[in-house]
Amino acid sequence: MIVRFIFAVIFLCAGMFMLATATFGVNRFNKALNRIHAAALGDTLGIFFCTMGLVIWKGLSAVSGKMLVVVIFFWLASPVASHMLGNLDLEINENPGDLIIEHHEKQEEEAEK
Amino acid sequence: MSKIRKNYEKSFAYRLKQWVNGDLDIADAKQLEVQIPEKKEPEVFLNSMEQETLDDIYDERRNKLLRRMDLLSKAASVVLCVVLIAFLLVMVADMPGFGDAASPVNNEVAARYIESGIPETGAVNFVTGMILDYRAFDTFGESNVLFIACICVQILLRLDKKSKRKEVQDIKKSAAKELKKEPGEDLILQKVSMVLVPLLFVFGIYIILNGHLSPGGGFSGGSVLGAALILYLSAFGYEKTEKFFSQKTFKAITLSALSFYCLAKSYSFFTGANHLESGIPLGTPGNILSSGLILPLNICVGLVVACTMYGFYTLFRKGDF
Repeated sequence: MIVRFIFAVIFLCAGMFMLATATFGVNRFNKALNRIHAAALGDTLGIFFCTMGLVIWKGLSAVSGKMLVVVIFFWLASPVASHMLGNLDLEINENPGDLIIEHHEKQEEEAEK
Repeated sequence: MSKIRKNYEKSFAYRLKQWVNGDLDIADAKQLEVQIPEKKEPEVFLNSMEQETLDDIYDERRNKLLRRMDLLSKAASVVLCVVLIAFLLVMVADMPGFGDAASPVNNEVAARYIESGIPETGAVNFVTGMILDYRAFDTFGESNVLFIACICVQILLRLDKKSKRKEVQDIKKSAAKELKKEPGEDLILQKVSMVLVPLLFVFGIYIILNGHLSPGGGFSGGSVLGAALILYLSAFGYEKTEKFFSQKTFKAITLSALSFYCLAKSYSFFTGANHLESGIPLGTPGNILSSGLILPLNICVGLVVACTMYGFYTLFRKGDF
C-alpha cells in the first residue's frame, strides 16, 4: 500500500512539475510557436502523469477507466489544436524569424512535374 | 398614372409600406449626396525642444513622479489583492461547515425535495427533478433566452441575400473568398475529427438521456453536441455540414422543441393544479424510461442548446447558416 502511495506521489509530482514548467514557458516565451511548444508539453505529458498518479493511488476501477479515456481524448485533441494554431501562426506571422518553412506538398507537386 | 397615385407615392405612408415590405432599404432612400471631404490630419513635426518636454513628461526614466506613480500602483494592486484574499478567507471561516445540520440552507424546502422528490418526480437525480419538474417554467425561460439570443445575433449579423447595396455585396464577396480557403483541408484535423466526432455525439446523447439518473442533462449534453457539430464544421467545411444541418433544420428543431416543451409542461401544470389525472406514467425510478416528462423535456433542452451553439458559431463565422 505504502509503495503504491509513494509511486502515486512520484507520478503526481512529475505531472505538477510538467504543468508548472508549461505555465512558466507560456508566460516566458515571446513567440507564438515557442509558447505552443510549452503549452503542448503540459497538455500531454503533464495530464498523463497526473491522471496516472491518481489511477495508481485509487486502483483499477470504472472511474480510473474513465480517467484513461480522458487522457486519450486529450492526447487526440490537444496536439491537433497545437497543430492548427501553428499553421495559423505560419500563415499570418509576417516576421517568423529564423524559421525555415518547408512546403512539402508544393515540393512534391514540383517533383511530379 | 393618375395624379392621386403620384401623390400617394410621395407620401410617408407609401414609403412606410415599402419599408415594411422590404422593397426599400432605408439606407438607399437616404443616400447622402453630399460627400464628406476626408479630413487630412496635419502631420506634426516636433522640434527638439518639444520632444524634450514630451520625454520629460512621458518617459519613465526621466520623470520621477511617473515612476513613483507606477511603483505606487503596483504596490496598491498587491495590497488590494492581499486585503481581498484575507477578507474572503475570514468570510469562509465564518460559514457553517460542510454537511452541518444547523446551517440555514437546510430548511424545509431541501427536506421536502429529499423526502418526496423521488416519489413525486420519479427522477433519481434530485437536481433534474427540481429544474425540470418543480421549476420547469424557469428552465423553459432559460432555453427561450438562448433562442432569443440566437435570433438577436441573426438580426444583427445575417447578410440579406436579396439586398443590392454595394457594401453587402462586397462583404459577401470577401466572405466567399475567405470561405474558399476555410476548411483548409487539413488532413490531420480531418482524420482526428473522424474519430472524435462520433464519440462526441454518442457521449452528448448519453449525457442527455441519462439526465434524470446521473449528473448531466439537457444543458451540458447539448453543449457537447454543439461542440461536436462545430468540430465537424471546422474539419470538413460548410458544404458537407449543410447536407444534414442547415437553417431549415435549425428552425424546425428549435421551434418544435420549444413548443413541445411549452405545451407538455402547461398540460402537466394545468392538470396538477386542478387535481386531475395527467395520465403521464412515472415508471420505476432508476430506469431509463421513467420519471414522466423529464426525459422528453431534457431532450428538448439539449436540442435547443446544441442548435444555439452551432448557430452562434456559424453566424459569427460566415453571417449565415
